[in-house]
Amino acid sequence: MKNFVPIALKLTNLDTNNKTPKRMTINKKISHSTLTAKNLVVGYTTPVVKGIDLEIQPGKMNILIGSNGCGKSTLLKCLARVLIPISGEVLLNDQNIHSQPAKQVAKIMALLPQGPIAPEGLSVKELVAQGRYPHQSFLKQWSIEDEAAVMQAMQQANITELADSAIAELSGGQRQRCWIAMVLAQQTDIILLDEPTTYLDLKVQVDLLELLTEMAHQHQRTLVIVLHELNIAAAYADHLIMMKEGKIYAQGTAQDVFNAENIASVFGLNAKVITDLESNTLICIPIKKRGHKESL
Amino acid sequence: MTMSIRLCKQKISFQVTKIAAIYTTCLLLALIAVFMFSLISGSYQLSLVDSFFSLIQQQQWITDSQATLIIWEFRLPRSLVAIFSGALFALSGTLLQSLTRNPLADPSLVGISQGAALAVVTLTILFPDYIDDWREISAFIGAIAVAGIIQLLRGKGNSLKFILLGVGVAAFISALISTLLTYGKLQSAMSALSWLAGSTNTSNWHDVNALGSACIVLMLLAISQARTMIVISLGDEVAVGLGVNLRKTMLLQLATSVAAAAIATAIVGPLGFIGLLAPHLARKITHNGPANHLLLSTLVGAILVLSADIIGRTLFAPTQLAAGLVTSLVGAPLFAYLLIKKQF
Amino acid sequence: MKRQQWLGATGISLMCLLLIVALVIHLSIGTKVISISDILHSFYTYNEDNFDHLIIQELRLPRAMIAICVGACLAVAGALMQGVTRNPLSDPSLLGMMTGGALAVVYWSTFVTNASLIWLPVVAAVGALISASIVWNIAARTHGGITPLSLILSGAAFTAFSGALLAIHHLLDEQTFEEMRTWLVGSLLASNIETLYWCIPWIVVGLIGAIVLAPSVTALSMGEEIATGLGINIRRRKWQLLMCIVILTSAAIALAGPLGFIGLVIPHVVRFIVGADYRWIIPYSILLGAVYLLSIDSLARWLIQPQEIATGLITILMGAPLFIWLVKVKVR
Repeated sequence: MKNFVPIALKLTNLDTNNKTPKRMTINKKISHSTLTAKNLVVGYTTPVVKGIDLEIQPGKMNILIGSNGCGKSTLLKCLARVLIPISGEVLLNDQNIHSQPAKQVAKIMALLPQGPIAPEGLSVKELVAQGRYPHQSFLKQWSIEDEAAVMQAMQQANITELADSAIAELSGGQRQRCWIAMVLAQQTDIILLDEPTTYLDLKVQVDLLELLTEMAHQHQRTLVIVLHELNIAAAYADHLIMMKEGKIYAQGTAQDVFNAENIASVFGLNAKVITDLESNTLICIPIKKRGHKESL
Repeated sequence: MTMSIRLCKQKISFQVTKIAAIYTTCLLLALIAVFMFSLISGSYQLSLVDSFFSLIQQQQWITDSQATLIIWEFRLPRSLVAIFSGALFALSGTLLQSLTRNPLADPSLVGISQGAALAVVTLTILFPDYIDDWREISAFIGAIAVAGIIQLLRGKGNSLKFILLGVGVAAFISALISTLLTYGKLQSAMSALSWLAGSTNTSNWHDVNALGSACIVLMLLAISQARTMIVISLGDEVAVGLGVNLRKTMLLQLATSVAAAAIATAIVGPLGFIGLLAPHLARKITHNGPANHLLLSTLVGAILVLSADIIGRTLFAPTQLAAGLVTSLVGAPLFAYLLIKKQF
Repeated sequence: MKRQQWLGATGISLMCLLLIVALVIHLSIGTKVISISDILHSFYTYNEDNFDHLIIQELRLPRAMIAICVGACLAVAGALMQGVTRNPLSDPSLLGMMTGGALAVVYWSTFVTNASLIWLPVVAAVGALISASIVWNIAARTHGGITPLSLILSGAAFTAFSGALLAIHHLLDEQTFEEMRTWLVGSLLASNIETLYWCIPWIVVGLIGAIVLAPSVTALSMGEEIATGLGINIRRRKWQLLMCIVILTSAAIALAGPLGFIGLVIPHVVRFIVGADYRWIIPYSILLGAVYLLSIDSLARWLIQPQEIATGLITILMGAPLFIWLVKVKVR
């Protein structure tokens, strides 16, 4: 035991040590994994996703938008292996995802589903630590890398102070950040998120997306996010994918794809799209019905 | 609060919470205390000293010549059977509750114990010659058959359906058992009846071996599943995202749960409520991670059954009350209490 | 409209006919099969020395009468219960009333010397009432309140508890247990015509009460707001109905012990034929319950002649699969 105590003590010092050098040594991934869908048909009793070919752009923010029921969540779940396709396949690194061992895939791809529920009595640190599952085994349950990854993830998600609190006591935004930290701790190339911003305040939404963008651009991770809010999607997407009735209607950069015609087609919404000159962000403004007096 | 243990150049590493370690030790000590008490008590009182020395087989210090006989022939096997069966029932219940995500699951509530019971009773009454060799195996088959039937019937239904179906199947099987008991040969019926009450009465060393080995194997299996259990409790989708092979894992957990209940039922008869209560009591003691929870549950289960056995032996001495009756008497109100407090 | 007419005179007459057929079968089946003409003779020209006549009048007829009463009581009790709790899985036995009533009767026979038969149904009633209120209270205090699951689970807990008490009593007092053993499983074997005489007033009260209150049960089964909107005083009505249920159940327990599942299954079959109107459900339940129990009892006596299978076992063996089927189909 004598030899192990000093190591254990040394590691707990990670709490206070939070500067960049640690980050760079641990996050050594540069290679990109690829995720593609070929002829994908997915559904429950009837097909919801009707034949999709999609190449997820590595190292970028890929954002899926579409009206309710268009199949975006279903597509994401299928990419994440939660749903088995009726036909077609999902390829991870050019290999069918279902033929690869589950833990192997989980080291490359992570999923944050919609509205996750944490069981009672779990603390923040315990939840984030679950993200290390794919890297652990029966004997190797809590290695140095695990501990470091968890610490780093909590720093990135800005919840280090909350480490010992119970999840049940946190606010919606804080809770969501804990789940994000769990996914970050998994240290995967690809991260899939299903409507991570629902029920969150605008500021919290923006903070979240800023964090995710940092993951993509500075840490070379590939992100695939299903979003509900059009403007946020347009503001942050590197690759915007619009879905309609189970198929991809349009995809490309926001500049290419986010325009009035497409919005009208996909959402049935009459809107104007204008560009904010300062930041070059596109904003969609719904056109009000006639009958309102417009003042100049 | 937590302590990390790393050995062999990082090949082996795990985390231990101080509180969990303390509680585990306390429960272990409690178990030993109750065990010693079990050795002393009964219709023939033995002193603590005598019991202790019989145990370690130091004949020269024993004052009562009967002590060794009583301890080694009766009380020791009986107490060990109580401990192991309690542990197995608790294990089964913990796994079942985690797997169905329902805090009210219990192997006897959903017909698994009854399935095992039916198999054993059928064997006892219709094929009494085979009982000794085939008892455990038939119990296992019976339990699996019932679990399978309920699973089939339930289809995609939720856990509510699973439990209701279990209640119906349990009632049906109880009627079958009653029929067999009432109309079979009297001799076989009597022995089956006493076994059905859930009793450690006729325990022998064969039983101890069977239960002991089952206990060790199944506990190891369960503990290996412990971390996966927490992950599964986060939700199916999160679990898949974290690399859990859901189908395989759920099947493994169900099989372990059924096996534990079946073997314990085979030796001791259906003991109600232990599988239900032990996990809850364990959780009340500490909120921490499942590996600890499993260990604590099994310790609690062992203590519960051992205590029930002691009470059964001593309360109305010399009449012996089967441990199963005591667990029902105490378990049912506790179950009602849980019904009120918990959300299901 | 057609159904209404159908249900009225024609339907009821058909059911009565069915009842008579079942009765005749019940009377003729047994270790000695007695022909129909002999049966009729025993009614019209009763001859004390004729052995067959004796069998019919002294053994089988009383038993048939009891079967009819018990079947009717349990079926109606079950129907009322399902309507009031709006729970298709309600049944007096599942909710602990049977074991509770049985426990009360067993304790009473043990501890009260010179136990007079008059009080048997009352004791069973008290036991049933106490059990029902315990189970109800427990279920009411759960998080979800009174739901099918909470009622059944609290009923299961109570049944386990009282079952253990019964078993302990058996161990401590073997004699009483011997006397009551078959009865405890639910059987018409030890049934006593005297008990029936004492129970009849209760049964009549219970059944009439059920018939009179039937319209309110229909309203209640649609929901409490609707019932209040129709001007029904919910609390009082529920209380009155609970009284009916307890009276009927206790009469049944007093006569034949705890017979499970009849109250569960018959109302569903009746509802299938008749629809959701309790004004029809109650009378049909009376008749169908009687027919059902008569048939089951005949079966019990015929299957493994000359021995007899306890009727209570057969009702569960028939009833449980139906319960399971109901859960499979009706529970989401």
